[in-house]
Amino acid sequence: MFWAYVPYMLRGVVWTFALVGGGLGLGFFIGLPIAIGQVYGSRVVKSLLDIYVWFFRGVPLLVLLFLFYWGVFPALGHKLPSLEASIIVLGLRSGAYQSQIFRGAIESVGEGQMIAARSLGMSRVSAIIHIILPQALRIAIPGWTNEYAIMLKDSAICFALGVLEILQRTRYVVIATGEALLPYVTAGFLFIFLTYGGTKVFNIIYEKTRIPGLVWRM
Amino acid sequence: MVLRAEDIHKSYGETAVLKGISFEVGRGETKVICGPSGAGKSTLLRCLNLLTRPDRGCVWLEDVELTSPSVNINEMRQKIGFVFQEFNLFNHLTALDNVMIGLTRVKKMPKNEAKRIAEEKLLTVHITEDLWNKYPAQLSGGQKQRVAIARALAMDPVIILYDEPTSALDPHLIGEVLEVMKELARKKITGLVVTHEIGFALSVADEIMFMYDGRILERGPPKEVVFNPKYEETARFFKRISELYGVRR
Repeated sequence: MFWAYVPYMLRGVVWTFALVGGGLGLGFFIGLPIAIGQVYGSRVVKSLLDIYVWFFRGVPLLVLLFLFYWGVFPALGHKLPSLEASIIVLGLRSGAYQSQIFRGAIESVGEGQMIAARSLGMSRVSAIIHIILPQALRIAIPGWTNEYAIMLKDSAICFALGVLEILQRTRYVVIATGEALLPYVTAGFLFIFLTYGGTKVFNIIYEKTRIPGLVWRM
Repeated sequence: MVLRAEDIHKSYGETAVLKGISFEVGRGETKVICGPSGAGKSTLLRCLNLLTRPDRGCVWLEDVELTSPSVNINEMRQKIGFVFQEFNLFNHLTALDNVMIGLTRVKKMPKNEAKRIAEEKLLTVHITEDLWNKYPAQLSGGQKQRVAIARALAMDPVIILYDEPTSALDPHLIGEVLEVMKELARKKITGLVVTHEIGFALSVADEIMFMYDGRILERGPPKEVVFNPKYEETARFFKRISELYGVRR
């Protein structure tokens, strides 16, 4: 009975990946500039960014989802579909977390690298792009892998907006079959498998991009 | 005159680090700055290429006043080589790329031309071809510092500032770096060297400036300052240094 619904559940993986990929991607483009601003920005810039990070790290994901889906987007005159709204909220929130990963990474590159770049005549911007970030992004990969693993499981909360990701589909299967154990166990294993597979991929990227001989002092 | 400093002052909070430093370095000269730690030597070097902005005083590079607000400092820094105590090679770049990046990214030179110059400069500091594609973490301290000297040389600077270039090295690696620095001095590459290596100063320097408590206390020909100083502080310093390090020639 249940096995007939497995393909239906598996299609939820695509939606889950849309949430995770979209959220991580958006979070990257929010988090990296925030990190750069927090390290190199003026005091005013820093405190504005602190407020952003403080807000999105402080409010529960479910509250953020409801707030933006029912509150903020309609108030702005754009009632967004649940998938789009979820991706944006996951991204805004992940940006706050990722900024702290990147900030730590940038700070551990070491001041000497910036000073050496500047003394060659590089501008600050050029030094950040060509000297600091190539190193900081490598350092950030393990932290970023962790963010993937957390985001993957947080994405299940988006069922609350009706996104047809793995958990939501599992709930429908439970209703349709009247059976709960097997569907939820399957869902759990799907998440475990995706977490394992994803972190494996990131670990390979980490190894491939490692700078030969170098051990970062963190 | 390649470099001229005029009445440089620098304080951090209440602490005055530099209390009016004036000197000049002529074309082709090598000058050495010595002095106890805390005398302000590193701060002085950083004031010369404005990594640190002096509170008062002027720095002239050839006929340009660096401390004037209208100067494009990024442009001027290309002409001032800087060699650090901690090497500060770019960790994510090979030895060759470390030397090339200033040429390609700052001077906007085409890659093949930059590569040719970088290879030439690496050979100048005796970094052989087998090391060109190594990353800094795969090199010894002495090799790293020589690559760092090549990186400075590649920019074709009018002067190179050395900030205690051998202080972070294992004793058996100091010689190879000093040897390269001596060769450059003999080739009349203008240099200003903060170092405790008295042997280096005695063999190639045109002048030693002894810094003490934020001032240049005494300056003159190396032999005179080291062996026949005017001040007791100078005598005490060189006595302690030669006891500690010996005089390497």
